[in-house]
Amino acid sequence: MKNCGEKLKRNSSGQLLIVAALAIAILISSTTIYVYEVSREKTATQDQLIAELVPAIKQSSRNAVISSLANASKGGEKSVLDANLNSLSKAYRSLNQYGICNLSFTVLNDSNYADGIWFSWSDTSGFGVSSAYANFSLAVYGLTANITANYAVNITTAVKLEGYYTIYGSEKSVSLICQVFNEGKPALAKNITLYYEDLGVWLPVNSSNNFSITDYGNGTYAISFTVIAISDPVLVSAHVTDLREISVQANATCYKA
Amino acid sequence: MGGRDKGQIRIVEAFLSVLIIFSAFTISANLTVTQNRTKNDNLASVGLQALIMLDSDGSLAKYIGDENWNGLRDVLNLILPTGVCFNMTVYDEQMQQINADIISNGGFGGQQIAFVEYVCASRGVTFHCYIIHLLLAVVA
Repeated sequence: MKNCGEKLKRNSSGQLLIVAALAIAILISSTTIYVYEVSREKTATQDQLIAELVPAIKQSSRNAVISSLANASKGGEKSVLDANLNSLSKAYRSLNQYGICNLSFTVLNDSNYADGIWFSWSDTSGFGVSSAYANFSLAVYGLTANITANYAVNITTAVKLEGYYTIYGSEKSVSLICQVFNEGKPALAKNITLYYEDLGVWLPVNSSNNFSITDYGNGTYAISFTVIAISDPVLVSAHVTDLREISVQANATCYKA
Repeated sequence: MGGRDKGQIRIVEAFLSVLIIFSAFTISANLTVTQNRTKNDNLASVGLQALIMLDSDGSLAKYIGDENWNGLRDVLNLILPTGVCFNMTVYDEQMQQINADIISNGGFGGQQIAFVEYVCASRGVTFHCYIIHLLLAVVA
């Protein structure tokens, strides 16, 4: 009996070994699969986050250009665009979460733009422009993915001013239509100030001129005022600030209707 | 012969038991971790999208510029899904903390914590660049 039991133990020990080996093999393979799955998910997520970062960077670039144009249009240096974009680029270089983030830029210099800024305010055709333009090159070197993107940001606030005058006794009643545009689309104005020229001097239009303004809510403003001006035709100038704090001036010549 | 068969059957039974228990443990652990990770990953994305949304009209920089930390906390509370805790820290370009008050809606009791780093450029006449660190967690 004793011999039989020992024999049985001896016979079973091999099988136990196989079973143990099988269990260890399953354990190892499960762990391997698990680690693989987890790392694959993490990679996909990191890529997704980097992809979502690109619109955020474009938005920041746009905000920086808007700020620069607002500053320059209120008397700041045109070099402010370059300085602000340098600050933005430096801020992105300091980010760690997405890998290495490199945002480079060039401001536009051509017949209209100087240091990426263009003001067309002195034309008497009734059209005024404040604009800024910069080209960007973005490169994000992540741990698992690289993203490159080239894009341009053009911020333009334009004003179209046109009108005429009629004579009532010794006064001239001036009627104007002022339209404000942001990137070619109608936009609202935050503030409109009117001036008229008389004998080479620009005078502000105020309540003493029966000044009235009608806001149509779609970027179009109907303006009327009266002046006792000797000059003919009447030159008017609109100084407009849009909701983004960008200022623009437009000059128009009003003839007798 | 009968005894040997019994022994073998017991071993097979034991093995099957271990296998079943181990499989159950592996699958359940795997599922739990996957779900946690998915929530965690979505959380970072949700946080980034919330910041982009706030920044789209320049209001994020305005809250910071006005040092309206309570307003910023309230608006984040509105934008982020319910059950998400956040803690925001705002730095300037020199990485000096700007927010004097805590911008948070509660304690971090959850295990799933996500981190979002964001650069916010202001639109105002004076340009400012802020670096935002946003920590998010799902309330357990």
